[in-house]
Amino acid sequence: MKVKQLFNFSVLAICISACGDAKKPEEQPMHIIDTAAIDEGKLALNNSAVEPLTETSSLIGFYVGEFEAVVSDAKKAPSYFNRINVSIDSIVDEELFGHSVVAGNNRPFKGNFSQKDNLYISEAKEPGNNKYDGVFTFTIFTQPGKITGTWVANDKKLAVTKRSYSLSKKVFQYDPQQNLNLGGRHGVYDPAANNEFEGEFITEEAGKFNASAIVLQGKDIENMYKRDLEVMRNTIYARHGYSFKNRIMRYFFDSEISWYIPVSTDVSKELTDLEIKNITLIKSYEEYASAYYDSFGR
Amino acid sequence: MFSFLTGISKNKFFIYSVLLAYTFFFWLMLKITLQYIPIKTDAAFLAIKQSYIHLTHYRIAFFVHVFSAIFVLLAGFTQFSKKIRVKFPVIHKHLGWLYVIVTLFLAGPSGFIIGVYANGGISSKIAFCLLSILWILFTALALLKITKKQVLSHRKWMIRSFALALSAITLRAWKYILVALFHPKPMDVYQIVAWLGWTLNLVIAEIIILNQFKNESKTTL
Repeated sequence: MKVKQLFNFSVLAICISACGDAKKPEEQPMHIIDTAAIDEGKLALNNSAVEPLTETSSLIGFYVGEFEAVVSDAKKAPSYFNRINVSIDSIVDEELFGHSVVAGNNRPFKGNFSQKDNLYISEAKEPGNNKYDGVFTFTIFTQPGKITGTWVANDKKLAVTKRSYSLSKKVFQYDPQQNLNLGGRHGVYDPAANNEFEGEFITEEAGKFNASAIVLQGKDIENMYKRDLEVMRNTIYARHGYSFKNRIMRYFFDSEISWYIPVSTDVSKELTDLEIKNITLIKSYEEYASAYYDSFGR
Repeated sequence: MFSFLTGISKNKFFIYSVLLAYTFFFWLMLKITLQYIPIKTDAAFLAIKQSYIHLTHYRIAFFVHVFSAIFVLLAGFTQFSKKIRVKFPVIHKHLGWLYVIVTLFLAGPSGFIIGVYANGGISSKIAFCLLSILWILFTALALLKITKKQVLSHRKWMIRSFALALSAITLRAWKYILVALFHPKPMDVYQIVAWLGWTLNLVIAEIIILNQFKNESKTTL
């Protein structure tokens, strides 16, 4: 295509110069040929592997995926799969700065940064003043935007001391129209509970209303199960990228909701007035249900 | 066998069991009532009635119902004791007036008003309103019969009236049982007990009336 275009322009250039008309049109084809020459030059530079693969600024962003336990102690009720968001915030010289958001934890990391063959590698440490801090080893692929690697905990007594991950670059954007689309029941899983599965479930009703987009009335939600109400309310937080500490909510959004990206451990300032109103309403029904649903009373 | 071991008759055992059970449920109802002291417009059940609580008549009716109905349960129960009726007729009369006045002017009408705003849609609204109308009607009839000295008829209507008063306990008990067994949705169970809570009581009341009065005079209703 490009070659064909160039050829056409060359023909045009020859025609124009042959006609011996005004100088202006003569410059246009020349300009195009020059650009092509520069592109070729760039290509040559890239192949030499001396200069960076790409501008490091293109590596900046969120990388999202499963943070999977590799070494864990089953007795300590580990979370085998969490969704993690590794954010590369900046790369200055040979240093890489970022933070990760997972399981209700937002932790910064800092590490070295170097190029190896056709990818980048980094070993980045979390500050070490949090129980769950550790060391990341990243392999960053530019095409497509991807990070793989491991994380090793500083504290070897944790439930999970080593995790692996393969993350894809994603863009986070709050979308109030985003909602749950659940096909049927989902079991509630909580390994921290003595009884792993207590017959509890989340039904598709949890996505019956979008509490970020419509004003809810009591009559809309009065016949909903408490767990569904809880999920509906937490979907508001999930849209804003809230990272859940609550295990049941976390496992649900981490494993069932593809659009969900954890970006923050506090989204209270992001909530809209509509959402705050709906949260208050849903919460009152949840509290009522937990106090009275299965007791003698109303 | 039982009476041989304990020295109390079967009949007495039955009465004590009923007394004990009633004391237990009365205690539960008292706890429900005390939740609203000091008066809070967002406590317990009112937490999900926030769209109505701003209505003055709803608010008044609600608290009148909660704080008066407990006296109905207290006064009503003693009235069926033969001992009290025979040995202390004055107590029977006084508590009877308490029961009738509270039911006819406080707990009954307030029940109708909050019934209009009942949860669970038209079905439970009809159930609760009908319950309050029948309750007022049966209680008024019982009063009318005793003013005419028609004791048998008075007793029958009072059994029916108290059967409806007891729906406060039975509908909550049904709710507890249904939730434990079937884990239904909150308003589904509410709609069911709104009817089940008092219709079954009336059936039992009729059975009791048939049993108790089969040998007695058939001259009055």
